[in-house]
Amino acid sequence: MSNVLLFNLTTVLFGAASVLYLGALYAKNDRIAVYGSWVCALAAVTSTAALGVRWLESYRMGIGRIPVTNLYESLVFFAWSVNLFYMAVERKYGSRTIGAFVMPIAFLTMLFAVTNDSTIQPLVPALQSYWLHAHVITCFVGYAAFAVSAGVAVMYLLKSRREREGVSGGVVGRLPESRVLDDLVYRAIVWGFPFLTAGIITGAAWANYAWGTYWSWDPKETWSLIVWLVYAVYLHARITRGWHGRRAAILSIVGFGTTLFCYLGVNLLLSGLHSYGGG
Amino acid sequence: MDRLWGFFTSVKLAVFTLIALAVASVFGTLVEQNLPREKYREIYKDWAFELMDRTDLFDMYHSWWFLALLVLFTVNLACCTIDRFPKALNVVRNPRTKLDDDLADTLPLAERWKRKGAAGEWAPRYADALSSLFAKPLVAVEGEEVHMYAEAGMASRFGVYVTHLSIIVIFLGAIVGSVAGFKGFANIPEGESVSQVPVRGGSRMQDLGFTLRCNSFRVETYPSGQPKAYISDLSVIDGGREVLRKRNVVVNDPLRYKGIWFYQASYGEAGGAVARVEVHGAGGSPPEVLSLAAGRPVAIPGYGFVSAVEYRQDYQGAGPALRLIVEKPGVPPSELWLPEGGNPGTSAGGDGKPPISFRGLAPWMFTGLQVARDPGVGIVWVGCGLMILGIVMAFFLSHRRVWLRLSKGADGRLEVVLGGAANRNRLAFEKAFGKIRDGLKGVGA
Repeated sequence: MSNVLLFNLTTVLFGAASVLYLGALYAKNDRIAVYGSWVCALAAVTSTAALGVRWLESYRMGIGRIPVTNLYESLVFFAWSVNLFYMAVERKYGSRTIGAFVMPIAFLTMLFAVTNDSTIQPLVPALQSYWLHAHVITCFVGYAAFAVSAGVAVMYLLKSRREREGVSGGVVGRLPESRVLDDLVYRAIVWGFPFLTAGIITGAAWANYAWGTYWSWDPKETWSLIVWLVYAVYLHARITRGWHGRRAAILSIVGFGTTLFCYLGVNLLLSGLHSYGGG
Repeated sequence: MDRLWGFFTSVKLAVFTLIALAVASVFGTLVEQNLPREKYREIYKDWAFELMDRTDLFDMYHSWWFLALLVLFTVNLACCTIDRFPKALNVVRNPRTKLDDDLADTLPLAERWKRKGAAGEWAPRYADALSSLFAKPLVAVEGEEVHMYAEAGMASRFGVYVTHLSIIVIFLGAIVGSVAGFKGFANIPEGESVSQVPVRGGSRMQDLGFTLRCNSFRVETYPSGQPKAYISDLSVIDGGREVLRKRNVVVNDPLRYKGIWFYQASYGEAGGAVARVEVHGAGGSPPEVLSLAAGRPVAIPGYGFVSAVEYRQDYQGAGPALRLIVEKPGVPPSELWLPEGGNPGTSAGGDGKPPISFRGLAPWMFTGLQVARDPGVGIVWVGCGLMILGIVMAFFLSHRRVWLRLSKGADGRLEVVLGGAANRNRLAFEKAFGKIRDGLKGVGA
């Protein structure tokens, strides 16, 4: 059960990082944001250790398998992915203000996770496959990228309104230029899209191997296609029709909404073959 | 005609079809598909039922209008490719290699500086520097002027076509599968065989071209009682003999023979009971579990045919036991009683006892197998591979171009003009361009 303790600690750390980033923004104090980065790094270590320990514990129970097979595990894995993807973005773009808009997503995810059953359950026969690893990891990297994109899109909308009004000070004044934010919304999607595509393809390959049909219009499959279509619209609108800025940012937020529905809504609200994550 | 072509090649149409497909798909997940009609009558009011029935919303993904949407999508995709691919090819094949003033004005990145000396003496140095900083340039000398052009990441221009082609390839694979393949289902009780299966969504029977026998089916559970594995032991009988046997057909590990795949999908009780016996192999190989249904002989290789004929709760005061009849070719059938849980004979026939032990009675089970032949699936995987390749090419590569012009300025000094452009990831190219500029400016300094 020590993995659950580590996950609970991770939750606290994600919360602390969110508070530090938001606090830094409101207090206009970059030092606080630096602490936020350190807490993020610590949370990355803790959550990675928690996943590792959970993996090991499952082996000790004689049912060894990768810890991504029910709602609790998938939520913590999603939060873990968001944290790592955010840290990569922070390093590359050198802006800590993004953390205030992205780390709360990881924190809320963990808060939702801890309300779910956290016991290690053995794998049902349908999930006993090597495709599980490739499928879940590609999907969640994609989801994490879309989460970061949507968080930055919110920043863009705040920032661009201020820029139009010609106000440069205040909390929003500390955000990166809207041009940079707009580019980041796009770049996160450019990372997420191939991973989502790979996630859908590995899912199809797995379905073909387990059920003899690579596509059966199951609600999960269909919603993953809807998410894919929304981001395909984003990419076409941006590249060939010059959709930048506000409209593109709104589309990114809509895209993340459909992603969340695909991830959680389908399992919690609709019925279908892919019921494991609803745990 | 031009207007029609313009319609089918427009990105507006592409965005419209993408959104229409997405919205339609949402309906398909909100209205549960392919339920029995009575169910829909219970769920929906009469007028809604009529409306949805008439628009095929209950089997939406196979409705004429959804297929029409997919066709429109494909036609749009194909037309866009036919329209734009030659232009992309032209950009790559016939690049503008000379930086004239018109081009210099339109480039997002341009820089000018001056040097003392002639173009001829600076050109080799700049060409070398450009090679090491970016890519080997094409050098053209025109009188007093020297033009250089270097490029990288050309494949980026073709990523979009590879991606679009991949979608058409996937659709092609799906069509091949639905025309030349079939999907069916087979429930086979232990010890029984099938050679044809009912096809899903129709009344047709599909001949397998061989016979599939279920030797046994069992469920393994975790200590907690949750199911761990559903295991079918299957044999393929082709041309009158067993040609393939797979003892562990489980979910995620199907049996494949002559292009037909059998997937463990369900199970149930066939009614009645079977005797479970263990057949011990020679040389300590792991025992094999067989299910003997009453009066059905089962072959044990190297031994003969065994059939279970009687079970008694208490045989001669020694507890439950099973009566077997063993038949060998050319030998009169023999009969024996096996106590439940007893030890088997030492070897096949060596001491007159078969290498069998009786493990007890179990319900007679049937295994439910999904049966599929899909000759298009390979094409679909090729399409999927192309799609990943195309997306990576389109978004992670960037066609970067750099021009350099050396010419004599009005003041007699050498004028150097550097220009650059990239089709993707321009912010990153701005930085790279800055490095190239600094490197070139440092030449000879």
